[in-house]
Amino acid sequence: MMSVFIYFAPSVFLNIGMFTAVFLSLPLYMIMGLALVFVTVSGEIDLSFPSILALTGLIFSLTLKATDFNFWLAFLASLITGGACGLFNGFLVTKLGFSSLITTLGVNFMFAGITQVLNQGQVRQFPEFDESPIRAAVVGRWGPIPAQLLWGLAIALILGLIFNRHRFGIHVHIAGDNPEAGRAMGVNVSRVKVYCFVLVGICCSITSTISILINSTYYSTMGEGYLLPVLAAVFVGGTPVTGGKGTIAGLVIGATTVVFINTGVIAVGLDGYFTGLGFGLVIILSLLGHRALSGRLSR
Amino acid sequence: MERKPLIELVGVEKTFGRVQALTNINLKLYEGEIVSLVGDNGAGKTTLTKIISGTEKADPGAKIILRGEEQKNWGAAKARKLGIETVHQNRALSEQQSIYANVFMGRELTNRFGFVKRKEQIAQTEALMRKIGYTSKVWTPNSPVLKLSGGERQGVAISRAILFDSSLVMLDEPTTAMALSEQAEVIEFIHDLKKQGRSVIFISHNPWDAHAVADRFVILDRGRLVFDGPKGNMKADEFINMLRDIAREGTI
Repeated sequence: MMSVFIYFAPSVFLNIGMFTAVFLSLPLYMIMGLALVFVTVSGEIDLSFPSILALTGLIFSLTLKATDFNFWLAFLASLITGGACGLFNGFLVTKLGFSSLITTLGVNFMFAGITQVLNQGQVRQFPEFDESPIRAAVVGRWGPIPAQLLWGLAIALILGLIFNRHRFGIHVHIAGDNPEAGRAMGVNVSRVKVYCFVLVGICCSITSTISILINSTYYSTMGEGYLLPVLAAVFVGGTPVTGGKGTIAGLVIGATTVVFINTGVIAVGLDGYFTGLGFGLVIILSLLGHRALSGRLSR
Repeated sequence: MERKPLIELVGVEKTFGRVQALTNINLKLYEGEIVSLVGDNGAGKTTLTKIISGTEKADPGAKIILRGEEQKNWGAAKARKLGIETVHQNRALSEQQSIYANVFMGRELTNRFGFVKRKEQIAQTEALMRKIGYTSKVWTPNSPVLKLSGGERQGVAISRAILFDSSLVMLDEPTTAMALSEQAEVIEFIHDLKKQGRSVIFISHNPWDAHAVADRFVILDRGRLVFDGPKGNMKADEFINMLRDIAREGTI
């Protein structure tokens, strides 16, 4: 795919600016995708993250105003909101036994509605951020590399370690693979799933905060446009929908692919509508690739 | 020497909706004895083991007494911590995960921060596989359970039950789907458990096996405990006749 882009627009794609553009937004998709890998491997799905993103962003903005620009308090409020949203999803799915697909679809509408009502159609700008050291630390530039890329990679590294080496990560795999076996062996499968939903909420807070810092602006539709690309990143990365299996490294590759298509289609000079075509092709091709790969491994 | 029961069940009942699966079960189990739990399909054998292993909760009012102490909030994790291991009928394996992950499922060896000691788990699994006589050289502790045969999977489930220092091992139909030679190994293995001083509850559809390994028989019929007595000099035919009679009587 890269080679196609480079072939058609070498000046754009061999330009460091192009990579900077990709790295600007990559961490946002990546952090969301990481949480989604956990949920997917635990055997559930979460479609409510776009509106949790908007809601946590709103709470961040409101707290910022109310506390006379206390970043840490605002971030804390956002984290608590995200965590609570995740608990709500987890409660509906594990305690009431609802299907996570339908539940989180509904919750997505619900939280989007709450956000719109609370926000009352405002666009909130924070010019105060422009010169703040926090902004420099989170989304500043280190040469051509935006700081958020390093934060994103650090989070990927930590979550990757937890996913593969921590007891929690192991239990996430078991919860999605054979929850009955897990329960019989004393794994608290429901709790593991709830934690996965909470992780999504927390990652939403982090993503919305970074996004607000990048633009110094909050708008209540900020979550829109994340849903399908992030899910695409998860599946392109090689995490199957069936649960019990997944990869963090794959997610990072998947997210990079998706963001490159997003940015690349525009850069080549194609109409933005072509992005969808690109996503579709890559998803189907990745399925073929996974099959070829798993076939080789099992023989 | 007065023997103290390892575990004692008092008034255990279990209902699933309108079905009464177990009615007033009272049972004592002593250290180092093998109890064959027998009964027809639907007699409640599996339900009873699930209650002991904490996978199912008994109806309120039941008492589970372990080493003289009444247990509150009985659950699978607690039961295992206190030395009760179970080889479930359905094996309870997580197929896409590795052999070693399955062996340590729910009881992972971790450091202070909860990170899994992978190398140690793999080494212990390897030793265990050798000990229980895994003949296949193809599998390593890292192989996914998905690729193992029925008997090999049962081997993993059994390994898991003996890895930890358990005082009671329950085996629910461990020999189904096994080759004859493998079945003989399981019977051998049960005797080994006894030699190590552990108690065993053995469930089997095969009355000869049930007779061969047992020190004591406990017979369930439609959720009721109808016989609880030592094997003594009882011959296999006598035992099987008794089972038949119980099954017939119940039909009245």
